[in-house]
Amino acid sequence: MLRARTILLAASAALAVSCMTAEAQTRTPRDALVMAWNIDAILTMDPAQIGEVVTDEIVNNVCDQLIAFEPDDSNKLLPGLAERWDISEDGKTYTFHLRRGLKHPSGNPVTAEDAAWSIRRVMWLGFGNAATLGQWGLVADTIEEQVRALDEHTLQVTVPEAWPPSLFLSVFAGRQGIVLDRKAIEPHFGTRTDGKPDHGNAWLRSNLACVGPYRLTRWTASDTVILERNPGHWRGEPPMRRIIIRHIPESAAQRLLLERGDVDIARDLNGEDSAGVDAHANLRLLSALRQQLWYITANMDDPIAGNADVRMALRWLIDYRGLERTVMRYAGRAWNSFAPQGAFGALPPEEGVPFGLDLDKARAHLAKAGHPNGFTIRLIHGSGFPYPDIVQHLQGNAAKVGIRIELEQMAYSQVISRTRDKNFALAISAWTPGYEDADANAIRHIYNPDPRPEAKQTMYLSWRAGYYDPSMNEAVMAARRERDPEQRILMYHAMQRRFMQEGPFIYAFQQVRLLAVGPALKDIRQSARRVAYNTAVK
Amino acid sequence: MRRLAGEVFRQASAVGISLFGLLAITFFIGRMLPLDPVIAVIGDDAPQSTYDMVYRELGLDRPLWEQFAIYVGKVLQGDFGVALNTSNRVADDLLRVFPATVELATVSIIIGVGLGIPFGVIAAVHRGKMIDHIVRVVGLIGYSAPNFWLGLMGLVVFYAMLGWVGGPGRVSVFYIDMIEPRTGFLLIDSLLENEPDVFWSAVEHIILPASILGYSSTAYIARMTRSFMLEQLSQEYVITARVKGLSRARVVWRHAFPNIMVQLVTVIALAYAFLLEGAVLTETVFAWPGFGRYLTLGLLAGDMNVVLACTLIVGLTFIVLNLISDILYRLLDPRTR
Repeated sequence: MLRARTILLAASAALAVSCMTAEAQTRTPRDALVMAWNIDAILTMDPAQIGEVVTDEIVNNVCDQLIAFEPDDSNKLLPGLAERWDISEDGKTYTFHLRRGLKHPSGNPVTAEDAAWSIRRVMWLGFGNAATLGQWGLVADTIEEQVRALDEHTLQVTVPEAWPPSLFLSVFAGRQGIVLDRKAIEPHFGTRTDGKPDHGNAWLRSNLACVGPYRLTRWTASDTVILERNPGHWRGEPPMRRIIIRHIPESAAQRLLLERGDVDIARDLNGEDSAGVDAHANLRLLSALRQQLWYITANMDDPIAGNADVRMALRWLIDYRGLERTVMRYAGRAWNSFAPQGAFGALPPEEGVPFGLDLDKARAHLAKAGHPNGFTIRLIHGSGFPYPDIVQHLQGNAAKVGIRIELEQMAYSQVISRTRDKNFALAISAWTPGYEDADANAIRHIYNPDPRPEAKQTMYLSWRAGYYDPSMNEAVMAARRERDPEQRILMYHAMQRRFMQEGPFIYAFQQVRLLAVGPALKDIRQSARRVAYNTAVK
Repeated sequence: MRRLAGEVFRQASAVGISLFGLLAITFFIGRMLPLDPVIAVIGDDAPQSTYDMVYRELGLDRPLWEQFAIYVGKVLQGDFGVALNTSNRVADDLLRVFPATVELATVSIIIGVGLGIPFGVIAAVHRGKMIDHIVRVVGLIGYSAPNFWLGLMGLVVFYAMLGWVGGPGRVSVFYIDMIEPRTGFLLIDSLLENEPDVFWSAVEHIILPASILGYSSTAYIARMTRSFMLEQLSQEYVITARVKGLSRARVVWRHAFPNIMVQLVTVIALAYAFLLEGAVLTETVFAWPGFGRYLTLGLLAGDMNVVLACTLIVGLTFIVLNLISDILYRLLDPRTR
């Protein structure tokens, strides 16, 4: 009842909004970029702790990293705070040479000691980002020897194995490569409830101290984020003096603000509002493929979902291309492989979507699986877009071949909890890899260090799904040790072709980031990782 | 004197027991909800060791009754804990979001009372005539149309098409960050800092959401006023007054109306309390950083610190408004003096 009413309301509201023909205007300050964005997800600004999309983008626009990349191609690594780097002959020691004369906004010089401390504290604090560094053999207990400042401008990082350089370096082009102003943060050191030092974690919840094109001047939870230009930034002053992010949770409200010219960019438009902007003469949509994938996980420990043919049958029950043209039009692209498009080693686009809606193939696999008349299975999903749309589509197609899918809707965090507890048969969720390389997902989706339930390897999606294949474990590690890029690509291609048939995941879509842009904004660039605020021109 | 002290003591302990009961029920229901606050803090890709550490940090490994006892102990010292959603102390967050809601609710209730009472009285006086029907239909729409929808329609017409009012948010983008919050009420703070432009921008922004919320209060208040008034108008003293030759306006406003004021106070207090709880959908549409949205987000994240503190505030609001209406009864009704 409540649902029907909500749909009715949303539909009539959308209709009314779409009837609007107001001319798009420009009413934002000339030297400020104003964005409407749902910023509820921001919990903290600490680079060691952040993980979700909104905060990652803001913090990486405030703080420079050791390594930078092209604003519209995050695969092209460029010098950042480190103007150059050398790799030892054995491939295990990386020496970063920091730019000279750099100063934090506090006036403190940017030193290699700052850089070393910033990386160390990620390991000491142990949030999800520590896991990303840990994959390369960095260990909290020995991190002080592994990451050292040789002098004021030279940082040395030593890892136990010779990883492919581009792979390891890309880690420092993200939040793990941010250099914080230790001297400015030190007075705010506190202790955690377990008595251990917090390395500034509590203070960094709502503050940032680092060098970058902008400074964080205000964050009011669920209200505003304001960034102020950093005069004399080493890369040159960005054109916009201020970045104002207004918390506007409603899509229709964002669109009205954009059309009235009260914001320059709307970030969270739903399908209907995006279509409205698309049709509008003065407004534009700018899109970029993000690395996030939406996928269904089958629990291999479940007697039904654990059957490879059952999973194949499910793969043939989704009309990926059809959804791409309709429900997902402004949200995602069809993609069936663990390595997202744009990542190093991803399959070519023509090979990325081998599946589609084919009831005969699904029936054949069901017969092979020993379920010619279908079965009943439960699928858990979050309530936000696009989960209900995708699962209802699957449910409808599955019914045609005798599979009864029972949908169970819950808060998204609950879906995550249930999969971490292995308490599910089918679950749909999303995952964003840490860097644009097939390895990023291979190491979490395929590689499983210890399949025993009591091992609690919850950060590995493979462990959550109960997937363990020693030969695939070896393939993942072999590709990660392969230093010849051409060879590495071939290895990932082979891995993808096999995993999309045998694996526990039914990959469905890759996310598109959509910026709805008003007439005042002439240019802004974005890559798979983030929108670059310093490229905004009005 | 002793009787008064006894009365105060009885009232205070009743309030204390109600609030404690409210806390206990909310706490235990909240803990039974299948929500995992740890995931909200650490994200999806953290290792199990981090999960376990934060689980302990949040005190979730202790028995329920112990968690509750610790919580109540802290609340008694004025510590509501930290909100997972904002990383701020809940008390600080409340000082920010509650004034925003109070400001909106107060303007709304002024609109609601200012329109609702005259409409109700007029409808009662002209019972069964055209004007009565119009008031009833307009009231019915206000009472039954969802605020979420009305809000969007209002934005489309008055903000986007006509440009008469400000859009979502509390103030225009030009004035964001200009006013240092002192009272938390933007209308007051902007005047205190002598910033008339900010004040007018705030007025432009509050007028539409307040009118939408005020509309539903208007509908409620008008309906109640009408029925109270009808009851009075059928009394013998009204007929007597009319027979004595008093004008209809005088009979209605000087004789009948004072007699419904006591009942109206209850109605208005209830409508105001309802507004103070925060209207989550209206706050969402208008991007109003208020109490209702704060509570709802806390609830969705399983953030019990937020939910419990907000429940206490709502409980206190009702109790305070109840006390105020009690006092008003005594002032308005000579029989209780």
